[in-house]
Amino acid sequence: MSTTVRLVLVQEVYDDLLNRTLSRISCDLGRLIYLASTRDYNTGNYYHEGLASRFSPEVARKALEMAHRQTFYKVSGFSLEDLASDLEAYLRSTRENPQEFLRTWQKLEPYRIAIPTEVNLTVARLFTSNLRLALAILRSRQEPSQPHR
Amino acid sequence: MIGTSSALIGAVVLLVLILVWIRADSTSRRLPSTLDGWLPDQGDAVEVCPPEFVSQIFSGQDLAFISRLEWPELKRHFLRERSAVALLCVQQTTTAIRRVMRRHLEASRLSEDIEFAMEARIFLQYAQLRLICGVLFLLIGLAGPHRLHGMALRADKLAQRIGDVLREFESGARTGEMDGARSS
Repeated sequence: MSTTVRLVLVQEVYDDLLNRTLSRISCDLGRLIYLASTRDYNTGNYYHEGLASRFSPEVARKALEMAHRQTFYKVSGFSLEDLASDLEAYLRSTRENPQEFLRTWQKLEPYRIAIPTEVNLTVARLFTSNLRLALAILRSRQEPSQPHR
Repeated sequence: MIGTSSALIGAVVLLVLILVWIRADSTSRRLPSTLDGWLPDQGDAVEVCPPEFVSQIFSGQDLAFISRLEWPELKRHFLRERSAVALLCVQQTTTAIRRVMRRHLEASRLSEDIEFAMEARIFLQYAQLRLICGVLFLLIGLAGPHRLHGMALRADKLAQRIGDVLREFESGARTGEMDGARSS
């Protein structure tokens, strides 16, 4: 398969992923967490059964990797205010207890696994730093009695 | 008398600058490795932070938002976090450009047709960038990244420009090598 044909195919799979799956997720952080979850923890390879069966595992892997990196850069580029809103939307979409969710996220920092393998180190650091701050902001909104002033 | 007091003031300023440098250096070393030691390892392929993120890191937008929340502890936390990211950004730029320059020097040593004017221009831009990075490194802890937006963008532009010139030089050298191989 020529490089051009392969690139066109990857783009096709990418568009399919955007239109069918990612558009159903209400916030960008949710999309990021979803895309990170399609990556195998042991090998770092991406896998999506539907895409792999309709196209090929290799092309699906490339498209997922591309979507993951792009979504990561998009979320990392959010202002703190926008990130806090997006995190709030993600929190609502999980339907978990907000206090418990925020406590767990602050403690375990599960968003670390949402970082793609090959990204700029400074951007990755900005992402984690902003999420820590956004969590602190949301927690103060959820628990207004917290003595912080 | 004026001479002695000037020397004394100079020595104190120098001492303060050295202390600030040491503090900034230790912050930049400590924060990424202990808090985020799990971050992706870039190995030898250290790259300059993309311009839109440099602008974001050094902008005052987030600080303005945090200030509106009127929560002093969070503001301190934000300034600490953002300074660490800004220091990492400067450190990455310095490391990346130093590596590119080292590669360029090695290539220049082997090259037969060195353009003196071009080499001088690259060196001057490099020296300017190192100076700006040094000043940024010093001032991030003192003034905060949001007050250094213009300087950080200037450093980023210079880093991009040096990268472009060197890429041009490398592709020119490759073309020359291919022409040489064809003619022999």
